[in-house]
Amino acid sequence: MSSKQSQGIQTLLEAEKEAAKTVQQARQYRVQKLKDARADAEKEIEEYRKAKDAEYKTFESRHADDTSDTQSAVDKETDAKLAQIAESYKNNKDAVVKKLLDRVVLVKPELHRNLKKAS
Amino acid sequence: MASRPLNDDEVVSEMNKMVAFIKQEALEKAREIRIKADEEFAIEKAKLVKQESTAIDAQFEKKKKGAEIALKIKQSTQTNKSRLRLLQAREQYLQDLFSTARDQISVLSKDEGRYLQLLEGVIVQGLLQLLEPSATVYSRPKDLELAKKAAANASKQYKEISGKDVEVSVEATLQDDSAGGVKLRSGTGRITIDNTLDERLRLLEDRMLPEIRHDIFGINENRKFYA
Repeated sequence: MSSKQSQGIQTLLEAEKEAAKTVQQARQYRVQKLKDARADAEKEIEEYRKAKDAEYKTFESRHADDTSDTQSAVDKETDAKLAQIAESYKNNKDAVVKKLLDRVVLVKPELHRNLKKAS
Repeated sequence: MASRPLNDDEVVSEMNKMVAFIKQEALEKAREIRIKADEEFAIEKAKLVKQESTAIDAQFEKKKKGAEIALKIKQSTQTNKSRLRLLQAREQYLQDLFSTARDQISVLSKDEGRYLQLLEGVIVQGLLQLLEPSATVYSRPKDLELAKKAAANASKQYKEISGKDVEVSVEATLQDDSAGGVKLRSGTGRITIDNTLDERLRLLEDRMLPEIRHDIFGINENRKFYA
């Protein structure tokens, strides 16, 4: 009779052991999953980073083109203005020199405005 | 309700039921754990990715902004350089103009009639500035005679304009290579006036700058205030 009892208890204990194993496996699965989450995230992040870097590179190269364009545009404009100034000077120089010289000899002696002629 | 003890078959059956129950409970628990694990996996992964991508985006924006600022600085430097070139060119032309003028003033003293008038004018002007009873006029050695004549007329004109008398003496102490004109000094020696042609030209160069700029180079589009 007691062997039958212990047999029964044995069966139950084994069943418990199996059950514990099952649960333990599930727990290990969980731990692994968390590690996987980290690894997968890293991969995705790296891809994102690469995509962004590529985006930046195109942005950068586009702007480099812009600056060299503006430089040459500015230079052209400056040269045009310089030519204009030279032309203008050539045309007006003599007149202005004459103006200066005329005023050098132009004398208008006046009594100081606070004074009246003494009689 | 059986109150008698169980027979063997019933025991076996009960055992099996209990075993099955234990197994079932374990499976269910395991299943719950797995499902939760999957959920947590998804959440954790999404959280990490989101965190890092936000950081990467922020870095990226900063880089872009930096590049934009650098671009603006470059453009501003270009504009500045351009303006400087223009200003330097104008300055050079101006200097050229003045040196041309300076070269030409020495011709002014050749016409004796007009030069005499000029001398009179500048002497009277000087006397009216001094407003002293006596003055000395300094001329170039070659102008001495003319200057004496001019001084005499000038003191008459001075009396006309101001009603005052003045005693004028003339000395020839200026350099001969000066363009002409006179310097004056009050009788007490305290006040001097430089009314030579060189000095007059220099003053004109300075005071006429706005007008000269306008005549040679056109109006300044950037200028907002006029006296």
